[in-house]
Amino acid sequence: MPARETNPNFMNGVPELLILRLLEHEEMYGYEIVQAIRDRTDAVIAVGEGVVYPVLHGLERDGALKSRRGTVNGRSRIYYSVTRAGSRRLADLSATWKGLAAAIHKMLAGGQDGEAIQRTS
Amino acid sequence: MAKQFNELRERLLRAGVAPRHVARYLRELSDHLADLIAEEERGGRSRADAESAAMRRLGAMEDLCRAMTEQRRLRSWSARAPWAVFGGGSLLVLAAAYFVACAYLWFLWQVFLPGADTPFGQRNAGPIYGWQNICFQAGKYFYIAAPVLVGWGMAWVGARQRVRAVWLAGGLALIAWMGSTAHIQASRTAVPGGLGHIRMDFFAPGQNLAGMLVTFAIVAMPYVIWRWRRAESLS
Repeated sequence: MPARETNPNFMNGVPELLILRLLEHEEMYGYEIVQAIRDRTDAVIAVGEGVVYPVLHGLERDGALKSRRGTVNGRSRIYYSVTRAGSRRLADLSATWKGLAAAIHKMLAGGQDGEAIQRTS
Repeated sequence: MAKQFNELRERLLRAGVAPRHVARYLRELSDHLADLIAEEERGGRSRADAESAAMRRLGAMEDLCRAMTEQRRLRSWSARAPWAVFGGGSLLVLAAAYFVACAYLWFLWQVFLPGADTPFGQRNAGPIYGWQNICFQAGKYFYIAAPVLVGWGMAWVGARQRVRAVWLAGGLALIAWMGSTAHIQASRTAVPGGLGHIRMDFFAPGQNLAGMLVTFAIVAMPYVIWRWRRAESLS
């Protein structure tokens, strides 16, 4: 169990990116998605597990995800997978975040007199 | 847990989230919670400890609610544009119901009374329990009941989506106004070709105020009873 949740102010757009990345090659249901995020980020990114569903519903509404109902161990599950529009959105989000991460890294490495940062988008 | 989910449902509906998204969200949260409890129990916790740990992991009520309400695209049309749904929408639905009633009347007129100038006031319409009379009576009762059926439908939508009572009352008043002032005329000779012409008029000023009040009372009654019983169950 995570000791604390990640500051929500730094999480804007991150859940979307992680979810699209996770679902890029395989379909998952909510519980699996949360476990996968925790495992693959070494629990650095931790949010209330239930808040993943509004993000999933929003992405599905936008056409970035599609869902289907399946049964596991006698229980009904909703499996999500990425659509073509979702793949394009993932590519855009990834490019934005890579640029942003590089800029922040550059800023931190440069210390107090760091170089000016170019806008990333 | 059921109590917390009920509270979450109420808060989401009142915030304007569409009922289908609320229902799906709660179903997924419930499944997720069951998985978390099972995981915690596998880790050696007692049932009670597993449940409280699972609830903590699922997220605080405030966070679960905010995460959903921040997704503006999941809001219902009743929350986004109540004036359109309960204003224009209610009138359009009632107009559609009247259109169906008129089309049905025109069809019966062509089939059963091909020579008559109007389908109204015909006394030679066959035996009272005959097929012809039953068809005409069914159409008449649909025409009379249309405002009540549409009003009840609107009230059901409003109750289901926890819409503010003022919007619903406005919509029901419009339905009652349109329904109580509806006037239908039919004449075969009004247009050339003998196909027949059916015309409806609405909203004539100063007409049938008592009818409007009665219609409003009938369409609003189930909603008022629902509100009253809900308030009693919450208190």
